[in-house]
Amino acid sequence: MSPSEQHPPAFERIATGVPGLDPVLGGGLVASGVYIVVGEPGAGKTIFANQLCYSQAQQGTRCLYVTLLAESHSRMLANLRSMAFFDASQLPQRIYYVSGFRMLEEQGLPGLLELLRREMRNHGAGILVLDGLVQAQEAAGSSRDFKKFIHELQVSAGLSRFTALLLTSSVGPTVHPEYTMVDGILELRERTAAMRSWRELQVRKFRGSASLNGTHHFRISEAGLEVFPRLETMVSRSQPPDWGTQRVRFGVPTLDAMIPEGFAAASTTLVMGPPGCGKTLLGASHLAEGIRLGEPCLMVSFYEGPDRLLHKTANVGLSLGSAVKDGRLVLQWNMPAECNLDLVAHTMLEDVRKRGVKRLFVDGLSAMVETTNEPARISPFFAALTQELRRHGVTTVFTLETPRLFGPEMDVPLGTGLSGVAENLLFMRHLELNGRLRRLLSIFKLRDADYDPTLREFLITSQGIEIQPPFQPSPELLLTGIARFPGNHS
Amino acid sequence: MVPATETVLVVDDEQGILEALADLLREEGYRVLTASHGREALERMAEVTPDLVLTDWMMPVLDGPALIERIQQDPVLRTVPVLGMSAVDVNGLKRLHPGMEFLQKPFDIRALMKQVRRALDTNARVRGG
Repeated sequence: MSPSEQHPPAFERIATGVPGLDPVLGGGLVASGVYIVVGEPGAGKTIFANQLCYSQAQQGTRCLYVTLLAESHSRMLANLRSMAFFDASQLPQRIYYVSGFRMLEEQGLPGLLELLRREMRNHGAGILVLDGLVQAQEAAGSSRDFKKFIHELQVSAGLSRFTALLLTSSVGPTVHPEYTMVDGILELRERTAAMRSWRELQVRKFRGSASLNGTHHFRISEAGLEVFPRLETMVSRSQPPDWGTQRVRFGVPTLDAMIPEGFAAASTTLVMGPPGCGKTLLGASHLAEGIRLGEPCLMVSFYEGPDRLLHKTANVGLSLGSAVKDGRLVLQWNMPAECNLDLVAHTMLEDVRKRGVKRLFVDGLSAMVETTNEPARISPFFAALTQELRRHGVTTVFTLETPRLFGPEMDVPLGTGLSGVAENLLFMRHLELNGRLRRLLSIFKLRDADYDPTLREFLITSQGIEIQPPFQPSPELLLTGIARFPGNHS
Repeated sequence: MVPATETVLVVDDEQGILEALADLLREEGYRVLTASHGREALERMAEVTPDLVLTDWMMPVLDGPALIERIQQDPVLRTVPVLGMSAVDVNGLKRLHPGMEFLQKPFDIRALMKQVRRALDTNARVRGG
């Protein structure tokens, strides 16, 4: 091949500046593409487009923002000033706001197109935002005229090397046939169920590469838009590495004695039991052992806040406070209401990657299960989450509340999906015997390890958890919470 | 209310703002001309020399700075006072264009009217020697 021979250019990507969105788009917008962003008023289109502009301006790219009967520029800028991405120093040199409405009114789509081409050229802009495409659509004499406008804009974008975002409110069908000509369609929407609402983004079309399918949650805060890609679409399809024969221990000598070899590193343990039976302390022991060994640890909780947790663990001899202070242990607390699965997973996995977390304790999984707006997703979500944690070599303990304190029935919440993907299952419950409340623990399942299957009473003392020798009462009803000593049939 | 002897040319690409400003100034008694960008403003000024130009900064076709440059190069128009207005932080614009007066959008109408009046009075005094 001669040096003069020219290759077709590879797709250059434009970073959107919206955290989490570029992975959804397979790496960002394709340079010189024309994209439609569709959504109802208030869906976040204007913030998104501005966030892209300010992010690109930071990198030296000039941006032209053209409005058509949208909110006034002064009002728009006043609203943007509180956003973290807003940078007044970029105005007007790198980000330039103009109105194209008068031109559209007087000269129709040809006049608007001429204005866009001329202004892009005059400003040497690499990004064009046209806010209010619906006005252009309404001004078009026919569907054919509108298609022609989009086509000519696409040709200009290709020739002049600019990337265009066309923002439009959705009225009627969210995707019009005319939109099929563009390089991509991003839909922003707000969904409501009962009194709760949440925001979703969906890539309806994307030329140039694969994008992550389905819907993805996003939020709008003073940080601007943040997208949380659906975890199931993000996890690697390849098998997680084999962590071999590495073993870990709880750090509770009497419990570890029940698992002589220790349990598998990078495995998932689910501890189930009713409230107050000691699940949190068992998980905290797992972390305390990690801290003792110098492993980065993470705790994610939903009910008990960090202060209360540290106080509670200190009372049983587990001193976690110093590890929190020096950063060996990070506590992430979430409100046990309106749980966003992907946000929780994103925050958790971000810390896992950043600090190389080796031990994780997720306390109060019931909060996630009960307060998510997507109960149908629970099983695939946990399958994806545990897969990702395994990939990073994180040994995880989850606690899950069972609803019944006592009684002849056992409630194993298999519907969470986690009991299926957890390699290790520990069950805890209360037992009433001779007028005294006792705590019981049993190992139901343990991957690749021998374990003592006997039912054990365990005590919570000022020195932590202590497992007692095998329980003596008649075993016939032990797991029901109603036990009898031999010979005592009263 | 002032007698309609003073002419103010308002230049803004945002139609709503242009019309609202024009109405307010007319209510105050000014004669008002409008243009939606700098080139259109120059066309208006080829017919009538206004007493004051009130111009937006970011506009298509010919923007505020380019319009001011053309006005200053024109021997007839160079004495016409110009007030800039912008949604961008005008303190930054003042540093870039010392000597220029700016109005910050969104407007405080009373402050706007005061500044228009002051610009017209200052210019009248200068012309009157």
